[in-house]
Amino acid sequence: MKRFVFLFVVLSLILAACASPAQSASEFDINNWDSVLAAAKGQTVNWYIWGGSDSINTFVDNFYGAALKEQYDITLNRVPLADTADAVNQVLSEKQAGKEIGAVDLIWINGENFFTLKQADMLHKDWAQQLPNSQYVNWDNPAINLDFGRPVDNMESPWSSAQFQFIYDSARTNEDELPRSYNELKDWACAHPGRFTYIAPGPGGFLGTRFAKGALYEISGGAEQWLSFDQALWDQWSPELWNYFNELEPCLWRNGETYPKDESELVNLFSNNEVDLSMTNDITGAGRWITDGRMPETARAFVFDNYMIGDFNYVAIPLNAPNKAAALVLANLLLDPKLQAAQILPANGFGLGYAIDVNRVTDTTALAALQESASTLGDAATPASELAKSLVGDSAAEYQNLLEQGWQENVLQK
Amino acid sequence: MKQGFTYLFRFLLYLILIAPLLLFAAYAFSTRWFFPQPFPIEWTVGTFQRVVHDSQTLSSMVQGVGIAFLVSVLSLLLALPAARVLGLRKFRGRQLAWLLIFIPSIVPPLAVGMGLNILFLRIGLAGTITGVVLAHIIPTLPYTIFTLSSAFARFDENYEFQALALGASPLQIFLKVTLRMITPSLVVAALFAFLISWSQYLLTLLIGGGQIITLPILLFSAASGGNPATIAALSLLFVAPPVLVLAFTARSLNQHGNEIREQY
Repeated sequence: MKRFVFLFVVLSLILAACASPAQSASEFDINNWDSVLAAAKGQTVNWYIWGGSDSINTFVDNFYGAALKEQYDITLNRVPLADTADAVNQVLSEKQAGKEIGAVDLIWINGENFFTLKQADMLHKDWAQQLPNSQYVNWDNPAINLDFGRPVDNMESPWSSAQFQFIYDSARTNEDELPRSYNELKDWACAHPGRFTYIAPGPGGFLGTRFAKGALYEISGGAEQWLSFDQALWDQWSPELWNYFNELEPCLWRNGETYPKDESELVNLFSNNEVDLSMTNDITGAGRWITDGRMPETARAFVFDNYMIGDFNYVAIPLNAPNKAAALVLANLLLDPKLQAAQILPANGFGLGYAIDVNRVTDTTALAALQESASTLGDAATPASELAKSLVGDSAAEYQNLLEQGWQENVLQK
Repeated sequence: MKQGFTYLFRFLLYLILIAPLLLFAAYAFSTRWFFPQPFPIEWTVGTFQRVVHDSQTLSSMVQGVGIAFLVSVLSLLLALPAARVLGLRKFRGRQLAWLLIFIPSIVPPLAVGMGLNILFLRIGLAGTITGVVLAHIIPTLPYTIFTLSSAFARFDENYEFQALALGASPLQIFLKVTLRMITPSLVVAALFAFLISWSQYLLTLLIGGGQIITLPILLFSAASGGNPATIAALSLLFVAPPVLVLAFTARSLNQHGNEIREQY
């Protein structure tokens, strides 16, 4: 008797699960945007996005969530992730299980995860340049058509831009005492022993990798030569790079015995007055960290005179996305000039820069808004002119592993 | 004098137990609390308000409680027959049965979860409440079976025989004799199952695939950003249901303890 009751319960649960609503698979043609909008109407877009920043979460809900609902009758389901790789694993598991309709519609993706999905042939193809707002994107710029040194191939669409910067506390450190090159940084660190450290280059520590790449650029005297891979060039300069870091090491926080593993750890050290410099990728500098209550209100961003690496970040649609039309509408919305103007305002909490080229915007109100936003980045940001002057592109993808592994072997374990 | 020490000891014990919660509260209701400030200077309810008003927080809690409740019930249903046999009977292969039952608590959940995810994706259970509930039963079963079997080890079947001799039906015997005698263990086992399911991150993430959001999913994603105020606010919400359940069951357990004592 009991056994039957139990079986009945389990069976009915399973049946209930099987009866979950079928996904709407209405047809659309990417070249006919109205058909995309019609297909997307009423859909829910499942956006898998790193959820570690409250201000970014709030921005996404308030700006894109509201706009999607009002303008397109699309519901935004923001799925917060602890690590973007979780979304990639989900898609790869679905592939392994042969599921043609998956769970993920859109992923805020970085170069490594993009490459993983591209290799697995699990990305929706031929769409990014067909988006109406793609007209504002400068696809001729290698910083945009290459992600992480690898061709974007129309499989992902940019959302925003970032540039490596340092952060200091103006209540603690005078601006004119700040180092303005890697060479000066070494002297500065040794003049203030224990007051500087950097994020360990490696997975999760992409800011540390970026910091180390900048050092490589300065030591080798140029950024352009690193755009394409050349083993001989690496063999020539990498010993000098390790040399630089090993000379820096005794002057670091805890004598370089250990390094913060990600941005959050470095921010904690900085805000708790253990070190004097932090790092960021945000165009608004320390703005988002101040909004989030993670840094003192006197925190300010600054750059070296050169070799501050900048890049773009993207969204991608998995091949088996259940609501592709809605995902396309959202990817297009991300490039909307009005929302681009909103995303860099420090008060809105997102803090990253434009993905679009302001010069391509012809609408005068939108252009005015973009220019207005760009000039109100707040006190905590680096002035736009200094950012532009020090901007360099990222290196070829092959150097990433060489640098991260080499740093482990030649600096950390030495 | 001796009583004074007892009170002091008791006070210290309470302090140790409540200190982490106080620390969470201090973090959740303050901002910019940096070294070397011994106490927060900027107090705010902003973070807590935002966390509570976030529609995802409430729905994740409701979903998590619902899942944990279903898991408790199903886990008890599965554990009861197994525990009865394991607790009351001696048979060949009993040790082996115990080993099999404990395997889920030894095998890393990642290994179980990855394999289960592919299987559940194939049969359409991934991303559903049913799938997550079934997955949660795996780590809870060892605890529910173990707790119930110890109750059955102390169980005297003669009470059931007596009821049978007095003309009770099997259902009556089960409800009025068996169930009543093992109720305290049943409550403890249900509590275990609830707590394990409620705090499950990995299996929910893998099987739920982002479609089932429970509080641990939000908590881990917040922790990856490292904002102490948000993490603390979510943690306070995270401990609330277990504490409430515990407080509630502690009372019922106490009552039962008294009843049992009265019987003797």
